[in-house]
Amino acid sequence: MSIGALDAALSYGRAAGIGKSGGGLGGLGDLGSGSGIGGSTGAAASGGFGNLVEQMVTDTASSMRTAEAASAKQVAGKGDLIDVVTAIGAAETALDTVVAVRDRVVGAYSDIMRMQI
Amino acid sequence: MDLKTAVQVSASGLRAQSLRMRVIAENLANADSVAQTAGGNPYRRRVATFKAEVDRTTGGMGVKVKDVEGDASAFQRVYQPGSPAADGKGYVLMPNVNGLVEAADMKAAQRSYEANLNAIEAAKSLTMRTIDLLK
Repeated sequence: MSIGALDAALSYGRAAGIGKSGGGLGGLGDLGSGSGIGGSTGAAASGGFGNLVEQMVTDTASSMRTAEAASAKQVAGKGDLIDVVTAIGAAETALDTVVAVRDRVVGAYSDIMRMQI
Repeated sequence: MDLKTAVQVSASGLRAQSLRMRVIAENLANADSVAQTAGGNPYRRRVATFKAEVDRTTGGMGVKVKDVEGDASAFQRVYQPGSPAADGKGYVLMPNVNGLVEAADMKAAQRSYEANLNAIEAAKSLTMRTIDLLK
């Protein structure tokens, strides 16, 4: 069920790594100027959007793993249905929050990019 | 967030009520279970009792099944001399299970389960609406 969603979250985590390389929101702009995917200078980016996203994605991925483990146990006939429902609910909430925050920030970024100078 | 805790607390309610439902099902299924030996005691009706318990990880006051106890009320004596469970005078002790009482208990467990489901649904919808503020 959530394999696709988990993949999406992980790839988004990689994207968060890109943001981290430049430090904050500016990291998104650095994409064009050569500091590519591999360039994780990491430590420089304390705080900022990259870290925020990374933290959120890590949390989301872990709650999704919990949900998946609960589902797998349920399918194998060893799990508790209530555990599955609450775990999936928590994962859904976490993912929706991440997506909403991302949409908001990306929207703000593209608003800035469209600004007339 | 407290809404998450609310969901966990309601989930503990779901667990407790489903166990209560199981106990009621056992009572109904064993409504005619007589003794294995002549003159012995038949199945004794059981009742689940609950207690409030603080969940250490979330801090919410959830519910837990304290115990599943036997109902101390008297067994019914029925004259069935042919039964292998009959005592010397031909009487068989029947379980102290009353179908009407079990049906009422079952309805109560069902309604309580539904109430907890509704609480989870409400907490979830509030969370989602809060997230929607961002969109």
